[in-house]
Amino acid sequence: MSTVFYQDRVVTAFTACAVFWAVLGMMAGVYVAAELVWPTIDFGQPALSFGRLRTLHTTLVLFGFGVSALIATAFYSVQRTSHVPLFAPRLAWFLLCAWQLAIVLGAASIMAGWNGGKEYAELEWPFDLAITVAWVAFAVVFFGTIARRKMESIYISNWFYGALIIVVAMLHIVNSLAMPATLGKSYSLFAGAQDAVVQWWYGHNAVGFLLTGGFLGMLYYFLPKHAEQPIWSYRLSIVAFWAFVYTYIWAGPHHLHYHSIPEWVQSLGMVMSLILLAPSWATMVNGIMTVSAASQKLRTDPALKFIVLSLAFYGLATFEGPMLAIKSVNVFSHFTEWTIGHVHSGALGWNALITFGTFYFLVPRLAGAPLYSARLANIHFWLALAGVMLYVLAMWGAGVSQGVLWLSLDELGEVRFSFNDVMAAMKPYYLLRFVAGLVFLAGAVLMAFNLARTFAGRRTIDVAPPGTHVAAGAST
Amino acid sequence: MAARLSILDLGKVLFRPNAVFEALAVEAPPVTQVLFRFALWLGLLPPVFACIGTLNFGWRLGVEPVFLPRETVIAISGAYFVALLFGFLSSAVIARWMAVTYDASQSLGRCFALMAIVGAPLAVGSVIHLYPHVFINVLVLVPALIWSMYLLYRGLPIVLRTGPNRGMLMASALIAYLLVAAVSLLGVTVALWGSGLGPRIGT
Repeated sequence: MSTVFYQDRVVTAFTACAVFWAVLGMMAGVYVAAELVWPTIDFGQPALSFGRLRTLHTTLVLFGFGVSALIATAFYSVQRTSHVPLFAPRLAWFLLCAWQLAIVLGAASIMAGWNGGKEYAELEWPFDLAITVAWVAFAVVFFGTIARRKMESIYISNWFYGALIIVVAMLHIVNSLAMPATLGKSYSLFAGAQDAVVQWWYGHNAVGFLLTGGFLGMLYYFLPKHAEQPIWSYRLSIVAFWAFVYTYIWAGPHHLHYHSIPEWVQSLGMVMSLILLAPSWATMVNGIMTVSAASQKLRTDPALKFIVLSLAFYGLATFEGPMLAIKSVNVFSHFTEWTIGHVHSGALGWNALITFGTFYFLVPRLAGAPLYSARLANIHFWLALAGVMLYVLAMWGAGVSQGVLWLSLDELGEVRFSFNDVMAAMKPYYLLRFVAGLVFLAGAVLMAFNLARTFAGRRTIDVAPPGTHVAAGAST
Repeated sequence: MAARLSILDLGKVLFRPNAVFEALAVEAPPVTQVLFRFALWLGLLPPVFACIGTLNFGWRLGVEPVFLPRETVIAISGAYFVALLFGFLSSAVIARWMAVTYDASQSLGRCFALMAIVGAPLAVGSVIHLYPHVFINVLVLVPALIWSMYLLYRGLPIVLRTGPNRGMLMASALIAYLLVAAVSLLGVTVALWGSGLGPRIGT
């Protein structure tokens, strides 16, 4: 029977894990935000110190929540756009177990103080190896399914998910090359400025191909499906994909402006970041025009509201990013809270909102039952909007203040304000950010409850692929 | 109330916006009338408050106040007014451009009126610029911003005569533009500061 129906139980399991990690990861974020206001709440425990919990927060939300959500939606959509069940379903279950185990043990290792010292790649070498094995399993299942497809064309969402798998594999392997010293400590094969360049080639493309490309895969499948409209311009989506893939990979050095790397590398990173605006906004226009043809569903459908709003924040984040990559802006914004605000307008406003919208669409279909409460989902929408707006505004205020104060010179040309004075002045903004995080987290908890109630007492329903005679539509 | 916006109607705009929206839906106001009797006066409030506040109290960023020469403060306030005016005009023109997609009224007068009304809570809230402590300004202007967004979502479908669903979509698209415009203003400002045009920045 397993070959007759889509393999949706593993999708349900990944979705449940994603929701769990979302709540836990955001809790860790709120806690570290609180530590910036009340530094003593680490109670002198190294495991609760800012350095470890901040790493825990980013690891849980990126790899626990983000990647689990991407795998869930990739597996759901690749089956339906290929009209076949998942290839090697046992491998998909292996991936589920391996990934979640890696996150649990990885989180414990971070709290115990293991840290490879590379941002967003802090997990030590045993985990790097485990992640590589799991990622290969992801690739085999995904590309195996595509290889067995009954449709002639490969739908655009699969191109984005495919790019995610291939590029993240490349980034992870190269950036993790290291010499192990002990079980919990290794040293990068790269040294000095080269290490920095490799790290930000990894770091920025993790943003590009995971947080942007992967989630665009989600957008391109779930938005037209949800809106019951084909993509406004399929041709534009293909052009934007190749422009996006070509351009993004060069943009990493903008993280290293005014550092000890060659000037031309910095300028190259800046120019490529500016060019990146074109494919990013092409996708936004495609999304907005697709949804504008389905406006009649908005009133009754809270999930679509999340997706519409996520497009607005996608537009903001993909504009703000290139702007911050301009060297004359970066000289002001670098090392300020503006950067943190930018990351969160993308991570909360784009990644989290589109995932929430997708889950509100996906879970009732997996359960074969209507959403437990549309009212709760609507409340979640407003909490999410308020939380992300408050967060971004607080960080804009903090970042601009820091920039002005740090660049202020006195009559002798000396720095006018000490680092400590400036940080002390940030306390009210940090308090506001803590409140913003709490509001956003409250929405996520509501969603977890809503989705759990939707699924309570049910099993994932069996859905059979359509017959091969069914015509393939771009919005399938 | 006839569809004639005047700065004297500010109370109605803030506290009985629905009546104003309904009136605008019935009759489109002339662009010049909205601009000269309402929008420009509103747009003058933030720079004037900021100018007075900065001259008296200096910029308070959490450490000792930063005082600027009188000429600099006046120049910055003038630039602030120009930026606000550009933001207002561009938002109204973009709203009209978007109206085609969302099957809304393409009356430029209505678009001007709507954007001016949306900006009204922020303009009134800018009274806090009289004491230019950044965090206190953030605390006051965030609720004002929420009020503005409420007016946008509430008023757009009525004033521009489109359905509530399309209205919500168009309002969200406008929010996207406004967010981008806001961050552009930040970017242009710091780039100018970095180029030495700003107050006491750089060497």
